[in-house]
Amino acid sequence: MVTLLELMRPAFEWVDALPSSIALRESLNGYVYLLTAHVVSMGLVAGIISYWDLRLAGVALRWVPVSRVKSGLFPWLYAGVTINAATGFVMLYAQPMRYFPNFWFWFKMGMLIILACNAAYFHFNIEKTVDQWERDPVAPLKARVAGYVSLAFWAGVIVTGRMTAYSGLVPQWWSDLGLG
Amino acid sequence: MLLPFFQWMQELGFSAFFLNSVWPTPIIQCIHLLAVAVFAGAVLVVDLRLLGRGLTWASLPELARAAQPWLVWSFVVLVLTGIPQMSSTALKQYYSPFFWWKMEALFVGVVVTFVIRRIIASKEEGHFGPVWPKVVGITSIALWTSVTIGARLIGLLS
Repeated sequence: MVTLLELMRPAFEWVDALPSSIALRESLNGYVYLLTAHVVSMGLVAGIISYWDLRLAGVALRWVPVSRVKSGLFPWLYAGVTINAATGFVMLYAQPMRYFPNFWFWFKMGMLIILACNAAYFHFNIEKTVDQWERDPVAPLKARVAGYVSLAFWAGVIVTGRMTAYSGLVPQWWSDLGLG
Repeated sequence: MLLPFFQWMQELGFSAFFLNSVWPTPIIQCIHLLAVAVFAGAVLVVDLRLLGRGLTWASLPELARAAQPWLVWSFVVLVLTGIPQMSSTALKQYYSPFFWWKMEALFVGVVVTFVIRRIIASKEEGHFGPVWPKVVGITSIALWTSVTIGARLIGLLS
């Protein structure tokens, strides 16, 4: 893992030295606006996705067909994800060497990758048969598992995202890597 | 007028505990943020429905009834986790204009969401005409967005 991170270091350092990155970093209120927009859009994304996941898990909206939950909520989810990802990317672009040695940042990125895999598995596998079970109050086990996995990892993304501000509160083994 | 109250809060042993220990504050902040996500979802599904968007397949009263427990319990968690965050930095909050912005928006938001919107959402679509549900929906979204922005700016600009 250290080797992989060290392979990425030059890219982070390169972005860090770009004039546009420096300009964003030194902007008086740029980071404030970005972080505020990131948190507000996080509410939209996490709030909407939680209802989708709770429907899959069979906990909420059990009387609403799964496809109706998706068609009703996903346009808002996509809008939120776009704002959230864009603001997150620009924050990373502005301060790459602040995030590079941050344990919580990489933990969050790892969970986002797992969430993407879970969503892809659901879309390309479980959702193929949605016509057969979309009106069932409780979805098949595979769909429920996908819902619970998504709920758990989105909660993890929120927690690790907040913890990114506490870059000193990390396991000793991470400090011993000497990335910072 | 409220300064003595904030000074008293700041001097509580409870506040000192959160201020001087390492893990309790981030843990409380994380739980607070998780509750924000649940609360945002419960607010949004009903507000979008009031605007004629989102889960239009479900009836408005049905949807509002389903979202109500999530709304109430996440709000309880928000208040419980908000108290230590406020008391441990009471004087910083008192002198922050964003804290008062947040509190004003919060007060109006609670009235709009838990009183006015509850009445509107308890009746079938069309009962209050085409305009009022939309006005309440957009007001609710604006107020809770304002609360979130105010809260974030307390930490960033105070």
